Amino acid sequence: MSPVPNVLRQLAVDWRLVLMGAVLVATALVFNLLSGGLFLSPENLYNIAQQTAVVGIVATIVVLVIVARHIDLSVGSVMGFVGVLIATLMYTAGWHWVEASLAGLAVAIAVSVYQGALTAMLGVPSFVVTLGGLMSFRGAAFLVADGKTQPVNDLFFQRLGGGFDGAIGVQASWVLAAVLVAALVLQTVLRRRAKAAYEVPNPPLWLDALVAAVPALIVVGFVATMNAYQIPSKDEPQGVPIPVLIWGSVALVLSFIVHRTRFGRYVFAMGGNPEAAALVGIPVRRVTLMLFALMGVLITIAAMVSIARLNDGTNSLGTGMELYVIAAAVIGGTALAGGSGSILGSVLGALIMQSIDSGLLLLDISIGLRYVIIGQVLIAAVVFDVVYRRLTGDAS
Amino acid sequence: MSPHASLPPAGADPAWGGPAPDRLSAPLVEMRQIGKSFGGVRAVDDVSLNLYPGEVVALLGHNGAGKSTLMKMLAGAYPIDSGEVLINGEKAHIRTPVDAQRCGIESIYQTLALADNLDAVANLFLGRELLTRWNTLDDHRMDAEARKVFHRLNKNFRNVRTPVRRLSGGQRQVVAISRAIYFNARILIMDEPTAALGPEETAMVGNLVRQLKAEGVGIFLITHDMPDVFGLSDRLAVMKNGRMVGAYRTADVTEDEVLGMIIAGKQPDGKAQAHNF
Repeated sequence: MSPVPNVLRQLAVDWRLVLMGAVLVATALVFNLLSGGLFLSPENLYNIAQQTAVVGIVATIVVLVIVARHIDLSVGSVMGFVGVLIATLMYTAGWHWVEASLAGLAVAIAVSVYQGALTAMLGVPSFVVTLGGLMSFRGAAFLVADGKTQPVNDLFFQRLGGGFDGAIGVQASWVLAAVLVAALVLQTVLRRRAKAAYEVPNPPLWLDALVAAVPALIVVGFVATMNAYQIPSKDEPQGVPIPVLIWGSVALVLSFIVHRTRFGRYVFAMGGNPEAAALVGIPVRRVTLMLFALMGVLITIAAMVSIARLNDGTNSLGTGMELYVIAAAVIGGTALAGGSGSILGSVLGALIMQSIDSGLLLLDISIGLRYVIIGQVLIAAVVFDVVYRRLTGDAS
Repeated sequence: MSPHASLPPAGADPAWGGPAPDRLSAPLVEMRQIGKSFGGVRAVDDVSLNLYPGEVVALLGHNGAGKSTLMKMLAGAYPIDSGEVLINGEKAHIRTPVDAQRCGIESIYQTLALADNLDAVANLFLGRELLTRWNTLDDHRMDAEARKVFHRLNKNFRNVRTPVRRLSGGQRQVVAISRAIYFNARILIMDEPTAALGPEETAMVGNLVRQLKAEGVGIFLITHDMPDVFGLSDRLAVMKNGRMVGAYRTADVTEDEVLGMIIAGKQPDGKAQAHNF
């Protein structure tokens, strides 16, 4: 054994994620070439990031649902229902956006817990429960406002969806980058200290530094790009769009839950071996219910961003979104059989899908061909997943 | 290093009351007239069985005889329909695996109840994770503690951070057994612990059983393997069609008599049953 692979093996680097990052970069470069430099322009990248946010937010939690061997087909419909409800409460009932959003949150959690309870307590397959939900809550979205479009006029609320005033500006963006880089450094230092304290072997310092430097560079590069985009009629560049900020925060919180809490570990254990999870005393039903409740929270956030972005709530909001969300999770390496997947993977998966969609649009490819290509990309991702697991001996 | 190491081995220390003190002490586990039905099927019917400290009781029978069901009730995996369980002479209410763990009951299952996608450390602590003061997972402490336990069982076990599906049968068994050792089992249920193992690893399990027995742990051993039964157990109990055929001192019966009990449900002639050891 040569020393280099040994060193590499000590790292907790997910090579699959690295590979997906490479796929994303390659996709971007190819489209950039074909579009004559349009694809990698700050404006296009800004738009891609902003457009991916809603699907990306929901994909983070759908990853966990799939990891736990469940599925949620109702995400688009529930988001539509909650979105129209919030918009109606603001526009027709005249509520403040905070009150309306809290009401939407309560309804979303009730809906999710209802579906989760059928799954967790009675053992009805989540596929069936949420397939019913896909239809019912689309109907409910129509019933809320009798099918009438509900405009969203609150200027502050509108910023949640991005758009003209929907970014945090240059200065705040740099502060954000600095905070994130500092957090990365701090995390690395603390991890090394903790490992040393328990006499767990540490990889060499330069390697840890390198591993922390990659995400740090991505953060700085991303902020620099967002700060380079200026809407022609404005005096200042945009900076990080608020929906992307929300998506990033959601992804960080969910990653924390996955890696640092019992709940996250139990979700993975239940997906890996449900029988074992029950035998060691994991409260499987409670964890499943909590998982669905968390889904309700994230659906509400996505609904808010979505109606703020579109400036209205309509009964068709989120139609077909379940397909994009599940595709993002799967492209991001989540196994439909359960037990494996990552939040960061879903972020990359959502970005890869949106980049391809947006790139094809830039190249003026017809909508029919776009659907054909994106569908095949999804299949390619699953084929890759199957082959990768076979090669690494992870096939179940 | 072992949580049991401070205990005197059973039968060796005069302070414990002589050469075989545990025969006189209260049973560690007393199962009285236990019953369990699945739908209309009586899986376990009016079964009583005791286990004493430092004793290995082999539980035998055909597939479907009810032995695994009986043990799963003791481990809290199935609710008990009728009858009662006494632990150290006191009535125990075992409804969930967590209740059983609180009574000091640990199980090592035939199917090796491990989450294949998690690493050895996560599996060792699954359901009983060590937490920091902020209630988050204390990964490094778990890592360090796990390495100690694994090292005790298998000095060559280093890949504690890869998913257990990539480990060998023996290494997986080490993880399963470590759960029992780390959490201080007083009562251990082993369901065909050597079924998936090679000869060397089987010997490791045998040595471990003897070691735990010497430390005063009571062990129920479900097995089909006659050498295991006669090599490791003090008593044996045979079940057939959900009922108890009989419990005997292992030294009192022959292999043919045991097979007769398993196959025909026939009690051997002229041998006294033994409800303690």
